[in-house]
Amino acid sequence: MNSTLALAGAEIRRLRRNRRYLFFTIAFPVVLYLIVGKSTTTAYGVSFKAFYMVAMATFGALSGAFNNNTIRISQERKEGWIRQLRLTPLPANGYVVAKLLASMVTSVPAITIVFLLGAFYGQVDMPIWKWVVLAVAIWFGTFIFAALAVAIGYRISPDSVQPVSMIIFFAFSIFGGLWFPLSGGMKDFAQFTPTYQVVKISTDVLGSGTVDIANVVGIVAWFVIFLGLAVLAVRSVAETM
Amino acid sequence: MGSMNSGPVVTYDNVSKQYGHLRAVDGLSLELRGGETVALLGPNGAGKSTSLDMLLALRKPTSGKITMFGSDPYHAVKSGRVGAMLQSGGLMPEVTVRELVTLVSGFHPRPVAPETIMKRAGISDIAEQRVDRLSGGQTQRVRFALAIAGESELIVLDEPTTAMDVEARQRFWANMKAEAAEGRTVLFATHYLEEADHAADRILVINRGRLLADGTPAEIKARAGARRMSFRMGNADEAFLLQLPGLVQLEIRGDLVNVQATDSDAALYAILDAGYRPREIEVTSLGLEQAFLAITSQDNATVAASPEVSKETI
Repeated sequence: MNSTLALAGAEIRRLRRNRRYLFFTIAFPVVLYLIVGKSTTTAYGVSFKAFYMVAMATFGALSGAFNNNTIRISQERKEGWIRQLRLTPLPANGYVVAKLLASMVTSVPAITIVFLLGAFYGQVDMPIWKWVVLAVAIWFGTFIFAALAVAIGYRISPDSVQPVSMIIFFAFSIFGGLWFPLSGGMKDFAQFTPTYQVVKISTDVLGSGTVDIANVVGIVAWFVIFLGLAVLAVRSVAETM
Repeated sequence: MGSMNSGPVVTYDNVSKQYGHLRAVDGLSLELRGGETVALLGPNGAGKSTSLDMLLALRKPTSGKITMFGSDPYHAVKSGRVGAMLQSGGLMPEVTVRELVTLVSGFHPRPVAPETIMKRAGISDIAEQRVDRLSGGQTQRVRFALAIAGESELIVLDEPTTAMDVEARQRFWANMKAEAAEGRTVLFATHYLEEADHAADRILVINRGRLLADGTPAEIKARAGARRMSFRMGNADEAFLLQLPGLVQLEIRGDLVNVQATDSDAALYAILDAGYRPREIEVTSLGLEQAFLAITSQDNATVAASPEVSKETI
């Protein structure tokens, strides 16, 4: 486990040097919040400022855990880094576990910064336990997106991984209602996306303080599906073990 | 050195690997003993990389069994007893050479200090450079550093000096000999025959996934079956020279005579006994390259002649 933690540490250090990560995961949601978050309307039964805080934190978590991982994993597989690791005493699952752990850690600043912005700039006010539940729900979302990223990174070659992950990223952002709240037919269709469910759970906690069990079942189901796909993808390329 | 008494370090027991219709490795059986430096020689597609991949638990044999340090390859690798450098191995980008070496040495149960590793691999001067900004030769040396990041008992190298210039290559083998001198077993695949000749105690020649020859460089050369002798002789008597013992080939150009014979000593004595006094006598063994070509082309000819073998080439 120490080796895996050391690898996760190295992954985190790498990310700090990556401008693309800093831009999409932190700068982009912050700027969007500053521009759009001022609206005085409501969404999903809560103030727009509160909704948009949740949406942007989820967006940051999605971007950090998904985009970044799909491309890197695909490249590192092609270039042989994963193979190199298999020649060391690092446990067989160390690479994937380290990627997931690093994603969990690197999503913390994105969520924290947007929450601070919501509290101080957007004047979102709620009891402390709600802040905690929201943060945990979005953080769990990070894990779901990271698991999907592993499945895609292992399956798709570096040549096509960028467009594929962009399509999924934008679909999850738009149909998840991260950029603008959903309504009508679009909502009927989009309510099944994991991003929508993370946002919905969060806004339900914010508003009524209760959650719809269907959404909880939904994100757990996505988690199981994506983790299963990730395990299958990793197994399919590892001839041994 | 402890491994010297404790039986073979590596055993391939009738190992085969099939990819669809293609038999990349075909009934390979061999043993590596502790402290040996062994070269794996073979033309492209002979099954070298597949053999090494199976040894390092990257691929599973279709049949047969590989044992390393008394356990299966996977557990031997994960216990840190093997260090390896493959052609297909990549490096983690966006970190410095020092960070990468430190990370990988930390995976080992018996790590070597990063400074020592970098010194041995000749990369101390590029320690602060980013891994993704190195030249091909520098990258290759960093990969070697990762192979020696722990106190491994066996080092496996697949074409380790590709992309290195002559000087770097010589430095590499000097470092490698230092590793071997500490009692480590070294197995390397190469297509530079002079490297096998100079660096290895033992050479394994494989072709079409099968082991064709196994011996010291001198034994392998002897397998080609002849030495070459040249001398000058005023009135060369062709009829006499054709009677030389063990003659394989004769060539007369003016007063210059070239003889290939299985026993060059006997041939020379016969010439002297007959009263001839040849001048400028030179006796050379056939190089490893000729020996290697002789062994593999013989094998290819056998395969081509036998009807039951499929036409597919590797």
